[in-house]
Amino acid sequence: MIKTEKVLHLKSSRGRKVRVVREHYLRELVPCYSSLCQAECANEGKVLSADVTHYVVPDAGVTRDFMEILEFREIQGLVFTQTACQAVQHSRGRRQYNRLRSLLKDPRHDCVLFANEFQEYSYCPREKGEPQDKWQTRCVYQAAVWYHDHLAGLKPVVMITEDQGAVAEYSSLNCGVYVLSTLEYLRTFWPELQAAHELYGSIAQALRERGNEGTEREFAEHLPAEVLEAGIKSGRYTQGTLNVNKHRAQHEAFVRFDGSSNKNSELDSDVLVWGGKNRNRAVHGDMVAVELLPKGEWRGRTTALTEGQGEEKGEESQGQPMPTGRVVGILQRNWRDYVVTFPPREETQSQGRNSLRILATPWDQRIPKIRISTHQADTLQDHRVIVRLDSWDSTSLYPNGHSVRVLGRAGELETEVQTILIENCIHIAPFSEAQLREMPASSPERPWTVDPAEVVTRRDLRDTHLVFSIDPRGCEDVDDTLSVRSLPPGPQGPRLELGVHIADVTHFVKEGTLTDLEARARATTYYLADRRYDMLPAVLSADVCSLLGGVDRYAMSVMWDLDAQTLQVNRVWYGRTLIRSSYQLYYEQAQALLNGEEAEVPELAQLPPEERDHKLSHLIEALETLTQVARHLRAQRDQGGALELEGVEVRAQLDEDKNITALVPRQPLEVHETVAECMIYANHWVARKIQERFPQQALLRHHPPPRQEFFTQLQDSARALGFTIDTRSNKALADSLDQAVDPQDPLVNRLLRVMATQAMSNALYFSTGACPVDQYYHYGLALDRYTHFTSPIRRYADVIVHRLLTAAIAVEEGARPAKASASNKELEEMAQHINNKNRAAQHAQKVSMELFQCLYFRDKDPETAECCDAVIYAIRTNGVLVFIPQYGLKGALYLRNREGQVVRVSQDGRCVWEAGSLQRSLDHVSTTTASGTSTFRLFQHVTVRVSVQTSRCHADTLHLELVSNRAHRAPEPPDRTPRAAPPQGTRGRSQLVQEVVRQAEEALLQAEEKKGRVSELSKEEREFRQSKTPNLYSLLEEVREQALLDLTACGAVGGGPDLGTAARPCATSA
Amino acid sequence: MAGVELLSDQGYRLDGRKATELRKVQARMGVFAQADGSAYIEQGNTKALAVVYGPHEVRMSRSKTLHDRAVINCQYSMATFSTAERKRRPHGDRKSTEMSLHLKQTFEAAVLTNLYPRSQIDIYVKILQSDGGNYSACVNAATLAVIDAGIPMRDYVCACTAGFVDETPLADLCHAEESGGGTSLALALLPRGGHIALLQMDARLHQDHLETLMEAAMTACKGVSKVLDQVVRQHLQEVSALTGE
Repeated sequence: MIKTEKVLHLKSSRGRKVRVVREHYLRELVPCYSSLCQAECANEGKVLSADVTHYVVPDAGVTRDFMEILEFREIQGLVFTQTACQAVQHSRGRRQYNRLRSLLKDPRHDCVLFANEFQEYSYCPREKGEPQDKWQTRCVYQAAVWYHDHLAGLKPVVMITEDQGAVAEYSSLNCGVYVLSTLEYLRTFWPELQAAHELYGSIAQALRERGNEGTEREFAEHLPAEVLEAGIKSGRYTQGTLNVNKHRAQHEAFVRFDGSSNKNSELDSDVLVWGGKNRNRAVHGDMVAVELLPKGEWRGRTTALTEGQGEEKGEESQGQPMPTGRVVGILQRNWRDYVVTFPPREETQSQGRNSLRILATPWDQRIPKIRISTHQADTLQDHRVIVRLDSWDSTSLYPNGHSVRVLGRAGELETEVQTILIENCIHIAPFSEAQLREMPASSPERPWTVDPAEVVTRRDLRDTHLVFSIDPRGCEDVDDTLSVRSLPPGPQGPRLELGVHIADVTHFVKEGTLTDLEARARATTYYLADRRYDMLPAVLSADVCSLLGGVDRYAMSVMWDLDAQTLQVNRVWYGRTLIRSSYQLYYEQAQALLNGEEAEVPELAQLPPEERDHKLSHLIEALETLTQVARHLRAQRDQGGALELEGVEVRAQLDEDKNITALVPRQPLEVHETVAECMIYANHWVARKIQERFPQQALLRHHPPPRQEFFTQLQDSARALGFTIDTRSNKALADSLDQAVDPQDPLVNRLLRVMATQAMSNALYFSTGACPVDQYYHYGLALDRYTHFTSPIRRYADVIVHRLLTAAIAVEEGARPAKASASNKELEEMAQHINNKNRAAQHAQKVSMELFQCLYFRDKDPETAECCDAVIYAIRTNGVLVFIPQYGLKGALYLRNREGQVVRVSQDGRCVWEAGSLQRSLDHVSTTTASGTSTFRLFQHVTVRVSVQTSRCHADTLHLELVSNRAHRAPEPPDRTPRAAPPQGTRGRSQLVQEVVRQAEEALLQAEEKKGRVSELSKEEREFRQSKTPNLYSLLEEVREQALLDLTACGAVGGGPDLGTAARPCATSA
Repeated sequence: MAGVELLSDQGYRLDGRKATELRKVQARMGVFAQADGSAYIEQGNTKALAVVYGPHEVRMSRSKTLHDRAVINCQYSMATFSTAERKRRPHGDRKSTEMSLHLKQTFEAAVLTNLYPRSQIDIYVKILQSDGGNYSACVNAATLAVIDAGIPMRDYVCACTAGFVDETPLADLCHAEESGGGTSLALALLPRGGHIALLQMDARLHQDHLETLMEAAMTACKGVSKVLDQVVRQHLQEVSALTGE
């Protein structure tokens, strides 16, 4: 190694310039990471392939500005230099740099990093007076030359730069090393990569435009990073994430603190950032530093409902003053891809002096308008386009961006669905050829069979255990099975053996394979209203991994040796097994068997009667034991304070052609709970096991206790009805929720539970090394340790847990694990990734559901639009929030319109708009007009009409209109009004389902009609292999959405408190 | 932590070293003729000068005299020009006093003080340029100076720092790494017996990692001891050549 010195000029913390001398060590052996290497470099990990025509070395400027182009997977043989990487890190911040890093780590992408500045011969010291960018270009060129020579000239090396001077200077110096500009490079080598050319054009244009900005200052400058850091440390500024209020995106934003960074102990709530000037160019999601304003300038949160873009007037609608601040600097931009809609022509021209620039409105209301310069403004009118933000200078009112990809015309179904995916950062490409090649072969003619070599290593349960699965009817991906049997009595008495057998996905998906990487990137199976994106290829999820009846399958098992009386656990066995599921039961069938009713068991149909009876009694006995065990387990958890959050599923009965014959609500059968309880138990024990074995690096799932202040709404609402809700602990909450039942109105309890769920935080995955032990607790389930183990086909977290468990077993058996398991840090990153993806998946599902709801209501005639019943669940100053049980909708109902008129209810219950005033109190809101006063109370039933408000740039929204202040009574069957319905339960639900069936039939008819009308759409449908809109899957999702409202509709409840298998979508044939 | 990446994905540190590599060590003994022993050391860009006087009779107050062994008196100072911004006070501030005390403890453990009862050994160390690892540079310089003075020691005392970044121990931290906010552990070792003369760590570290960090620091100290040994032998050769033996 050779020691040299590097002189840097840095700024000290006080802003003074300091001359710093740093050492710089050079060495001869720096790995080149190319498979062509002749010098036997120590190339570990990813290497560049040899079968490319050339290697390409982008210089610092190109890496900085055009990284998006380099991200194209088609561009192979990329060598990033250390110089370029550092330039990215310094000028673009950590986010961009992390993107580059993940690019370098991604094995699917053919690119490597060459540490050129540490190589003795490729390093060139900066000369006196040499500008930084010149020096960087020289360094990169030197590196390119070295690389070429190092590979003995086997591969031509192309350096790309935007510096025309460098092209002229260097291009003829060395043969074999070419220097080209980016555009020239793309033209020469990738003429057919149209997307890259377009992207290049749009980025280059954005860069050019940035040069000639106005000089008038619109915003205060951000403070430099050092000042911010010092300020945060001293407590002068506070650090947090900016959340823009969706309904008042122009004015209201809140800064939420990440727990630990909050030094300022007096601040226990969020900080309000009011108005655009104070927000100072921060965009939703950015990590910002805020300075609090003096107390005199504090304002309250707006409590009025806004109608569309309606302007606020007056100060009357404010709540309690809360800490208010202004953004002084941005610590971390959190920009992602945004979907925007290009304005129609009239608007573009009215833009004025520069018609090239266009203000496009993002789909997400929280994002400000984005200025884009493009030549395609005319062709892209009313199209939805993906846009990335580039910068936001203090001289500009709007951020600058450039377009990336065109999605399609606004309003078309495919465009909208793609929009939802992009907005939730979900990128899904079909499984690649290479990934599918890794899969085991299985076809109907030659089904997959077990490997005899593998059989020896597994515990064989095929003959010893009665294994069966209980799932929704028609389920294809069976990932859990159960078994129970009695063991010979031990010293304490008779014993039982309970077994949970989970599909052994990790046997087929080895760590680091392409399928594994893809599954990791997806993290979960995505369910949208009309389609599904699987985490694993279908051959695994529906066949080889699925624990189908009557075939041999690999499984991962947990078996408990229990005391038959007390159900104390004597011993637990974990391990890989080989099983053959004897019965593939469905819930109703299992419940029927339990109840002693006649039930068809197809597996036994062929057998002679005596044998059949024998086997049947055997099965029933097993089911009974199982139920008894589950009851006991549930009771145990209830004592600990487990919360019951309502979850209902609806199941479809199919005939042979997979048509729906009927929709039957999933009766809240005991057997559901039984299965769920066993799964929770298995998850819990696996969590214990891996946490004991890997105290620093086990993936668990916790559910932090909610913050008490979030319960205020629930408590206030309950008080209005005379109930008290005790929220001090989960047990107290569960008990008081159970008591808060209004015999008159079953919806009350349901709504209260919804509010309780809303107050809770999400259950999250985490790595045990990243959290203190007392935070492992799962609040919803009341368990000290919990993880996800039972659905590896649908969730990547389970795959990780399976690997951890396998490693734990291997360690116990004395074998050293083949590969060190992921470190705490990696695991924590992974947990974050999965959490984010889960949240995105849930949000996407919710939004797509809303999309379909809007489509449904849009096709209805507004005149005949049906009125429906709604319940008021919250009071605002100018309206109320209502819940429509029939459609599972929530929405705002305005009692005052823009002209200042308020709703008055006349004698017969009809509503008219009149001038008047509005009075709000804790549990009711009343309108006063010249002709009288009408009052709306919490939990009052009203009748509303639903219509669709279309919006060009954003998603369509549903608009509610008050029709009458009485509960809605449907004309025909009198018992259909909720009030008349017998107490909460089967009746209410079946009514709901009938409604959905009827709805679906209508939708079907409409779809037929639509098909005739809009042939364009159906063509697309064919093209994208998308089943028709109101297909079985969408139906089920719709139903599920309504039923599970408590969990999913609450938006924030990503991941929800775990309900074991209850939240599983039951349709698989979509 | 500011945005500096102390250890890149490819395993390079800021200055191009790998995790276990030390900075370049250069040393000379016998730089001053007036003192009994002296040495100059460069560890990377950290430069230190050590001077030893003694053993001589106790010159401080009589009461400090120890009847069974020698008193070791250490003084640590930093040149005003040693840091990027000029220092106001070269010695006597709290940090220097603490460092002096640490040096004293280190050498009381290494020097065979019981051979010189009722006497005193003075060790003066000055940092000429500071770039991380001041303590270890001082200890190493002082060791050479003590050897130059001919005072018997149990073994070389070798010191080195080690830090912990991304679950990887880094040997011999430079200033940028020390100020990066991570853990830093200073270890003074008597390498032959593996005795630890001094161990100091201020930041928090998980107990599980302490072992690996100490291991790394000890390996680094052994590396330093080899270099010091070479320097001493070289010096001896030069001196003996001069005196013509």
